[in-house]
Amino acid sequence: MANLEVPKELREEARKHDMYLTPISKDTYELFFGPQHMATENFSIILKMDGNRIERAIVNPGFLHRGFEKLAEQRPYFTNIALILRICVPESDVPENIYSMAVDEIMGWEVPERAIWIRTTVLEMARLSAWMFWIMGFGNEIGLYTAGQWAAAYRERLMRLFEELTGGRVYHIYTVPGGVRRDIPGDRWLRQLRDTVEYIKSKLKDFDEILFDNYIMFERTEGVGVMDKRFALKHAVTGPNLRAVGVPYDVRKDDPYYLYPELDFEVPVLKEGDSLARVLVRRYEIEQDLYILEQLLDMGPPSGPYMVQDPKLKNLPRFKVPAGDAYAHVESTKGDFGVYMVSNGTHKPYRVHFRGPSQSHGVTVLEELLKGARLADVPVILKTLDNCPPDIDR
Amino acid sequence: MAVNDNKVETVEKAEEKKPELPNTKEGNLVRELLEKAPYAEGSVRREKRIEFRVPAERIHEFLELASETFEMLMQISVVDWLKENEFELVYQLWSVSESVHAFVKTRVPRENAKLPTVMDIWPVAETYEREAHEFFGIVFEGNPRLGPFILEPREYEKHPLRKDFNTLSYVKTIYGEDFDRYDESKTNYVI
Repeated sequence: MANLEVPKELREEARKHDMYLTPISKDTYELFFGPQHMATENFSIILKMDGNRIERAIVNPGFLHRGFEKLAEQRPYFTNIALILRICVPESDVPENIYSMAVDEIMGWEVPERAIWIRTTVLEMARLSAWMFWIMGFGNEIGLYTAGQWAAAYRERLMRLFEELTGGRVYHIYTVPGGVRRDIPGDRWLRQLRDTVEYIKSKLKDFDEILFDNYIMFERTEGVGVMDKRFALKHAVTGPNLRAVGVPYDVRKDDPYYLYPELDFEVPVLKEGDSLARVLVRRYEIEQDLYILEQLLDMGPPSGPYMVQDPKLKNLPRFKVPAGDAYAHVESTKGDFGVYMVSNGTHKPYRVHFRGPSQSHGVTVLEELLKGARLADVPVILKTLDNCPPDIDR
Repeated sequence: MAVNDNKVETVEKAEEKKPELPNTKEGNLVRELLEKAPYAEGSVRREKRIEFRVPAERIHEFLELASETFEMLMQISVVDWLKENEFELVYQLWSVSESVHAFVKTRVPRENAKLPTVMDIWPVAETYEREAHEFFGIVFEGNPRLGPFILEPREYEKHPLRKDFNTLSYVKTIYGEDFDRYDESKTNYVI
């Protein structure tokens, strides 16, 4: 477990340096961080402060609770797609895909090859756009605004591609049980995607200069929010955060789905476990995602149908799923995103339960890592953990 | 007498099932765990998915054994089986070393549902248990932070994810009949 208790002498020294933050009459005070703060994204933390040091942090989620799981129990299977994708805002394709994978598994469907290719490409595009979104947030938090502006502009390119493919920019409602909702618009779209991938690849060295290889970034993140391997496993830390403590766990490798067994990519692993390691793991993953997209484009979409041929799909509102349960998960940029679905044979799911990575990153892990941190480190720790509050609230 | 016969039959079936475990990584994992915990039932669902059924009294003991192989607790899913009057708790475990997902299922009666906490095994269970407590009203003995978590304080102890909680009537009591939630044809009330 990361022991972040600050020794008494150090704390007193810190208090001397941060005189202006220490109230005269009392030593400790309470600070409400969020939900309006940029770094927290509709999520609040109650900080018990001792001068500039955090003694205790209490996470206070619930600002985004919309009862998706209850609502999903009252709607037909295909209607739910428009609902559950709102669980993950920057990467809305992930909930769609895990939901569809779970239904496919209970139905026993073999999804056509073309649909598999499209789903893999959409997932990787979603990852890339989520990385751009993350660079924007992280750059802004540490004061390097230029990188954020660039990333937002590059994300726009991907959003336009998504709009042409699916009709939506942020929420796509595209992956459905059995395949995808419509076919690729044509070869022009594939060429545009290749151009975008090449463009972002050529801009990576600019990001390195301004953000990832920047002295300011190193100073802000090195040694901040350290966790070790045992702590990470006990707290179910997944994704880049787990790979930053030296565990090479990636759902795409360890529980392969879609086309990933055929693709060639590496899982970057670092050992330090601090915020810097988490940032650098993400930097290497952006490279891998671009490489995966290039491979997919070289492969090209296989011909064939983009939807399962099943007579049950003719009457969608009365589409019934046999009784059973399934757990499906994919690797999102934030970590292992999973869903547990139970069906009792009717046209509505009996229970849909999501497992967002921020359920561990954003509550217990955050509370532990914030102990003893400085106030200025709070946005850094939040952003390097890549906390996504809708995962917790749902 | 008929009841006894049924029991004998189920026991025989369970005994028959045990040798059916395949000689794969998953089958060996189930076999190893069942040797240590003979009170549980185990089966292989498919590649990388195994399943255990454990009586609620021994769930902590079983999960402590399982935590040697399954390092991560991904989620505690609760399913409300209203007809059987039971809650089903599914502990979703993942083994990083073996790359296998395990469902550990246990059932508790709906009234005064109580279970021991697994916070001492996986500290992350605190969050999952708080959620299960708030939405279903299950008490996890030993978890110090059960209380209002995601919902508003006035919604606490309403347990909205239980199957007998009616979203529509709750919305009506809170917002009144004026709250326009009719569909386009103004005939059906939409939640």
